[in-house]
Amino acid sequence: MTLKIEARTADGVTIVSCSGRIVFGEEATALRDTLKKLLGSTKRVLLNLSGVTYIDSGGLGTLVGVYSSARSAGADIKLTGLGQRLRDVLQITKLATVFEVYDNEQQAIAAFNRGGA
Amino acid sequence: MASQPITGPVSDSGSGVFPSLVYVQGNDQRSIALDHTPFTVGRKVDKDLVIADPRVSRDHALILSDNGEFYVVDQSSKHGTFVNGEKVQRQKLQRNDRLEFGVREVAYVIFHPVQAGSNTARDFLSQISGIHISTETTDLEKLTLFLEAARKLNTMGVLDEILVTLTDATLKLTRAERGYIFLKDEEGKLRLAAGRNYKGEPLLDDKTISHSILDEALSANSEFLITDTSQSLDLAGRQSIVAYDLRTVICIPLLKPQVQTTRDAEVPLPSPATGEVMGALYVDSRFASRDISQVSNDILRAIAREAASLIENARLVQAEEAARRYQQELSIAASMQQGLMAVTIPEVPFATLRGRNLSCKEIGGDFFDAVNTEDGLAVVLADVSGKGVSAALLASTLQGMIYSQLTARTPLPEIVAAVNRFFTKKHLGEKYATVIIARVRRDGELEYVNCGHIPPLLVCNHEVIRPSHGNLPVGLLADATYESDRCSLHPGDRLVLVTDGVTEAENAKGDFYDNERLEAVAAKGSSLEDIFASVSAFCGGTPLGDDCTVVELVYTG
Repeated sequence: MTLKIEARTADGVTIVSCSGRIVFGEEATALRDTLKKLLGSTKRVLLNLSGVTYIDSGGLGTLVGVYSSARSAGADIKLTGLGQRLRDVLQITKLATVFEVYDNEQQAIAAFNRGGA
Repeated sequence: MASQPITGPVSDSGSGVFPSLVYVQGNDQRSIALDHTPFTVGRKVDKDLVIADPRVSRDHALILSDNGEFYVVDQSSKHGTFVNGEKVQRQKLQRNDRLEFGVREVAYVIFHPVQAGSNTARDFLSQISGIHISTETTDLEKLTLFLEAARKLNTMGVLDEILVTLTDATLKLTRAERGYIFLKDEEGKLRLAAGRNYKGEPLLDDKTISHSILDEALSANSEFLITDTSQSLDLAGRQSIVAYDLRTVICIPLLKPQVQTTRDAEVPLPSPATGEVMGALYVDSRFASRDISQVSNDILRAIAREAASLIENARLVQAEEAARRYQQELSIAASMQQGLMAVTIPEVPFATLRGRNLSCKEIGGDFFDAVNTEDGLAVVLADVSGKGVSAALLASTLQGMIYSQLTARTPLPEIVAAVNRFFTKKHLGEKYATVIIARVRRDGELEYVNCGHIPPLLVCNHEVIRPSHGNLPVGLLADATYESDRCSLHPGDRLVLVTDGVTEAENAKGDFYDNERLEAVAAKGSSLEDIFASVSAFCGGTPLGDDCTVVELVYTG
């Protein structure tokens, strides 16, 4: 397992920090399971990916899959801490238009509180 | 002279553990388990095998066991005892030996015939669990029987069944109430692998056992640990012992067997100092129940040794089996992908098209296709997420859908929207695909729709343009919308499409081949082969992590 996932809460937002690789297999499964469990009790999740070194197509699929099910359940997942490669991937796949991406945690939390989601 | 193979039904009394005797008289035959010795043969009615024929003496012969071998002994019979036609006094028996007592030809006994086709693991197990052990058999003899049986099972590669058998065998030997086997998982934590009570019922829960004794046995590095709580005053902290009335607990650490060159009884135990702990065998009994503290140490030692090597062997067999299945799946996926990549490229006067794929070890879901219609020459390149059979299956579905809609001259954005609807409606997990479809008309007009794919390389006069136009991949979001983009090609212009296996090809340092290198080699006006040569030079010896597919469309005008 090359992915570490940690969760904490700040200003009513659950911040999930990932470090390592989000790849097809147990890493993507672990991320999906963690987020699904959290979304049972919170509607605001901020995914901090600053420690993520690599995300493959399977990892990206998981990210979008969890995002979609969160949205349909009335919850929201925002992203922060994207490295250049991840930004490129989101740009190529046009997923940058789907996810809300913020430069840092403060901005993302502020956006959550503005939106009142 | 040699015996004939036994055909026809053989009754259940023949156990796989005890040798069986098949008694044939005329057209009748029956099977008798040789489950005790001496086994008596004669005309007297109290014999184990009664042959009512005047040529058979009243006390004709005995079958004895000695050191695991069986012997037939003639008891001074009048007409003699024969093994495979030879008159004998005392003769060691081999499988399939034909025994005759006084009467020749009319009635005979086949010793322990080999029964083809009945020796499956499950048969074997049912025989083991149904074993009847006579009270005279010593504990060690019993153990030998069980382990012999288990060793044969070993080759079947059924770890779970072996564990259950082992637990049952241990319970019978120790007369304990409950037995559990714990095995270490990859993280080194002990996990319950099998649990049974003395009635043969499965125990799925290890909450009521003494985990403190289990831990102690493992850390003590001893051969086994017997705790008789009635003798021990120090029960503080042993909650389960108090709460569940556990009286005797025996815990045997299972040590990974050391490499052995021989397999005889003289092989020393794996040294606790060096043998890696792979798990533990745990049995217990409650108060006012069975006293298991008197179990012979020899037996426990033997169980400790044999159980560990059994489990280890079973694991090896299982790993081999998994590897074989994996290989099988790989070859299925590979043949599917060959089908996907076997594209007949249409010949058109205004353009040339070439495609090439380099598969990595794990089969991915890349495919390309080319269709010529009145709207122009269309080329499709797609990359389905994931690997293996599921990715290859999805890729062929995708290929079929796109092909049929291209030939039906459906507008490009509608094609990918339809594919997206199909993918998202079918709830294919988190599977999706990046797709690019480009179509060039005779007059040079290029229309393309890019769904999350790496931007194409448009090479005009050694200049590389990467149009940033694009859409979401197909299969991710049900409400995604798709648009195409257009531009004009001039004779000599080239469109190069790649999958991300190319840009993400890694070298030994972990750097990606990336877009800059790709653009540089494409700008030189080089061919597909040059691109692959450049990627391979960059990677050095590092194997590809993903399929690489490159498609090149040259507009000739």
